[in-house]
Amino acid sequence: MLPARSAEPQAGPRPAPPGAGRGTGPSPAVHTIELRKQYRRTVALAGLSMTVRRGEVFGFLGPNGAGKTTAVKLLLGLARPTGGEALVLGAPAGDRETRRRIGYLPELFRYQSWLTAREVLELHGRLLGLPRARRRAAADDALATVGLAGRGDDKVGTFSKGMQQRLGLGAALLGEPALVVLDEPTSALDPVGRHQVRAIIRELRGRGTTVFLNTHLLQEAEQVCDRVSVISQGRSLATGTLAELRGQASSVRLLVTGLPDGWWRAPQVPGLWSAEGEWLLVRDLAAGQVPDVVAALVARGGRVEAVVPQQQSLEARFLELLGEQ
Amino acid sequence: MNAVGIIAALTIREALRRKLIAALAVICLAMIGLSAWGFYRLSHTSGLTSGEIGGAVPEAFILFMFMFSFVIALSASAVASLSVSTEIDSGVLQAVVTRPVRRSEVLLGKWLGLVAILAAYTALVCGLQVGVVFWVSGFVPPNPAAAAAFLFAEGVALLTLVLLLSTRLSALAAGVTGVALFGMAWLAGVVGSFGQLLKIPALHTVSVVSEYLLPTDGLWHGAIYYLEPTSYLAFQSGNQDRGDAFFAAGAPAGTYLIWAVIWFALVLALGMLSFGRREL
Repeated sequence: MLPARSAEPQAGPRPAPPGAGRGTGPSPAVHTIELRKQYRRTVALAGLSMTVRRGEVFGFLGPNGAGKTTAVKLLLGLARPTGGEALVLGAPAGDRETRRRIGYLPELFRYQSWLTAREVLELHGRLLGLPRARRRAAADDALATVGLAGRGDDKVGTFSKGMQQRLGLGAALLGEPALVVLDEPTSALDPVGRHQVRAIIRELRGRGTTVFLNTHLLQEAEQVCDRVSVISQGRSLATGTLAELRGQASSVRLLVTGLPDGWWRAPQVPGLWSAEGEWLLVRDLAAGQVPDVVAALVARGGRVEAVVPQQQSLEARFLELLGEQ
Repeated sequence: MNAVGIIAALTIREALRRKLIAALAVICLAMIGLSAWGFYRLSHTSGLTSGEIGGAVPEAFILFMFMFSFVIALSASAVASLSVSTEIDSGVLQAVVTRPVRRSEVLLGKWLGLVAILAAYTALVCGLQVGVVFWVSGFVPPNPAAAAAFLFAEGVALLTLVLLLSTRLSALAAGVTGVALFGMAWLAGVVGSFGQLLKIPALHTVSVVSEYLLPTDGLWHGAIYYLEPTSYLAFQSGNQDRGDAFFAAGAPAGTYLIWAVIWFALVLALGMLSFGRREL
């Protein structure tokens, strides 16, 4: 059973400062302030501010070219920022010792094709400084977790793209990292593989590992993320839980029988009403008005068979945010 | 094992797995087999006097070693150019440098691994060549170990330079540039010989400057010197007005060797700095 998580609202794109070094608890897993990256005239990241809490699965969403991978590279020290600040696990981004506690699956996942899968994992175990006795077991565990248990002694060069991505995920899980950064982790996987990756992410969350999931697949984010940040053109447009991002239900669909003709002309029925076959659709409701709608229908002799609150889909909200921008 | 050792061992393992060492060994055996036949024919030709044979065998040996130095340079240039930029392009290095290792350790490990392969290859070729030539002709260079060490150092110089280039350029550009610079340095040495022959100090200066900028040709001349028997040295010294690019009148100066060591350290350090600052 995974621990329950409370979703705190995020008022705006500006994150709260981290608690590290102030005696207010552990530092956030990731904290950036106005992080900026510019390549000559091209602005890849235009002042990204965000906070990823410890133990959460954080979705980093955005269209292609939004600056997601650039942000990941800055967090891992693969590139240097041209402005702003980034702290990862309480240390400046790219800090060598901190990298021991970070697992990373790159978007461009390639490993030594001339090594076997087990050898790749043992190499990463050595680079992590895992003791010899633990390396072999850690590699076997990782292979089993990502579904490559039977292919450990095969050369990576013989692997399909999907298998290489699984291997990369296995490498990212070595050494029980506190933060796992996954850059488009299911881009090469079939539906079964995607399902397995989502299960792995949930298991990581169960262990208290923070997962930073960089993806453009909204469905993936909806299924596993505690909170998400939508970025576009190098800026965060919104951050929060999925419910916060989608907003409160502003409409409801109802299946009602036994209502007299012309009931809807009666006063004090909230919202705008329309019929959709057997269903009624009530729009433009204020927060907390759904019970009032049900009470009004019952008062008019209706039998309410079903009530389905209509929430904006993440995709619709995502497109809306991009449109607003 | 620290990161440098891990990467060095990985580099050597890659050379073995990718059959680079096997390919080099086959080339080596083919070269030596051919040279054994050539030296046998040269030293057993009835039309030549023993004096002529005594002069021709060392000269042929130096020519053979020049060809081998070229093979070493090309091989070093090719493997060094592929080892960094190709792995950056493919994404292999991104997964390595995000581990708790310094990028300088990764580059130093690669350098050490490649240098170890080069050392083994040079020792194998030189050892076999000296043995085979002695077997078929009875000739032994005065100091084959020193000559092999200079050949090895020449290869390491080019390897180090190309490794530096490959931290910034594509594999193709780094490899081609390295080989072109090696060729230019050798040509500058030839120009210097002509300068001596034609008594044009400016041409000689070109070769001296070139030897300091890229010490491959200077180190090659060190190898030549230790391959020349005393009789050959005396004979050639008397003919210096012909400006021979395959002759060295003396061993490289101690100050030049110190400079070569400083050059290696500088270029390697520059490579580590360049890779450390490279955005991946």
